[in-house]
Amino acid sequence: MAADKPHLNLAVIGHIDHGKSTLVGRLMFEAGAVPAHIIEKFRAEAKEKGKESFAFAWVMDSLKEERERGITIDIAHKRFDTDKYYFTVVDCPGHRDFVKNMITGASQADAAILVVAAPDGVMAQTKEHIFLSRTLGINQLIVAVNKMDAVEYSEARYKEVIEQVSAILKMIGFKPSEIPFIPTSAFEGDNITNSSENTPWYKGPSIMQALDQLTVPTKPDTLPLRIPVEDAYTISGIGTVPVGRVETGVMKKGDKIIFMPTGTAGEVKSIEMHHEEIAQAVPGDNIGWNVRGVGKGDVRRGDVCGHTSNPPSVADEFVGQIVVLQHPSAITAGYTPVFHSHTSQVACQFISLDKKLDPKTGQVKEENPTFIKAGDAAIVTFKPTRPMVIEPVKEIPQLGRFAVRDMGMTIAAGMCMSVKQK
Amino acid sequence: MGEVAAKMKIMPSDVETDLGKLKEQLRAAVPEGSEIYGEIVEEPVAFGLKALIVTVIVGDQEGGTEAVEEAFAKVEGAENIQILELGRL
Repeated sequence: MAADKPHLNLAVIGHIDHGKSTLVGRLMFEAGAVPAHIIEKFRAEAKEKGKESFAFAWVMDSLKEERERGITIDIAHKRFDTDKYYFTVVDCPGHRDFVKNMITGASQADAAILVVAAPDGVMAQTKEHIFLSRTLGINQLIVAVNKMDAVEYSEARYKEVIEQVSAILKMIGFKPSEIPFIPTSAFEGDNITNSSENTPWYKGPSIMQALDQLTVPTKPDTLPLRIPVEDAYTISGIGTVPVGRVETGVMKKGDKIIFMPTGTAGEVKSIEMHHEEIAQAVPGDNIGWNVRGVGKGDVRRGDVCGHTSNPPSVADEFVGQIVVLQHPSAITAGYTPVFHSHTSQVACQFISLDKKLDPKTGQVKEENPTFIKAGDAAIVTFKPTRPMVIEPVKEIPQLGRFAVRDMGMTIAAGMCMSVKQK
Repeated sequence: MGEVAAKMKIMPSDVETDLGKLKEQLRAAVPEGSEIYGEIVEEPVAFGLKALIVTVIVGDQEGGTEAVEEAFAKVEGAENIQILELGRL
């Protein structure tokens, strides 16, 4: 594990059963990220039984067994290296109800591999995941047209799948011409590290090569300061201490800050991270900061801290693009579910359904539709029922994403396009 | 179906909260169908405050982490619960 290589968070997305887990296992295996003791155990067993060809499946089973026995310490994500980068991989859950966590969670993916099985092509979840990846702020995408072995490595089928996927990608602003579409068989190992002899018609990069062509996103430290408050404490001898994770910008000791939507202002007396005082906090830092001039009751979870000179936007109304993931009937104007965004939870009313988008062409399908339902993408105007901070994704992407929840379900995921301030 | 590992951060109600007791109560509160994986780790935050980091395994199915979050939220001494990371096993 080379610590000097730049790090990227990689999400693996796509329809369930299209081979996501197999692809992750294959990447780990070929990148040499499978623990040495497992490889050793395999060698001994293979020698004994003479079944080298089952190498990969065997390794997958061993890793699973180790997790079940509680040997693996950090199981939420997996790691591997390419020539250029060090990757942390998240194999995204299939169920929609995890979308909320992916939107409000701390680890933001820098790139994604979309897995589409060649025999099936685009399925409902494929579409959903493409929408979500954009909503989650993932701008770099690699498409693996997987299970090519199941379609006899047919170039014609590969092209059909590309066409299907490209149509959806265009709709949400990806440029298919800039995205590698790689014919793979994660199980057989085609085009993972080296070009496969089974696809002589394919001249593009392998998955590993495509991963090396990704770029490291710049740290959002030049954006305005935004720290969503997770909680605020009163600590004797110190005073009011809000805690949270810096999303964007830089906060220094002595800075004049303001908490929105309340408008409570103060001065940063000191900042601590891991119990040690630091002079400034940058994006990704989990900090507690002591504020002069602010009482505990003046700051609460869901507030956002910014500089007094550039305070967080409080929305009277905002316009968002959403994709409806699930809803038992139809959504009409007047619907008021709870919006989860950064650390806040505020009920917002759908005050007007402005446009419905066609998932096939990306064009506006209907102006002012009377209703929208599961599977639809739409532009909607929302009105929060109480003051809430949200920012347009174009300006501060980290504060512009939201999940819409109702009846214990994630109804929709969306991003804020514009804000009409109070 | 598959399973999902969710790494959660639990903030205590205040600096004086007994973290040992909180850990025990969290373990006792895990709803059926979910389980805590490995140790609950104390992570220093700032000014004496410590967060608890818990990895919970839940099914990749309807409800997601909701049942666990609700159960943990009811535990005395747990101020709020945040999902840090999430991934299929």
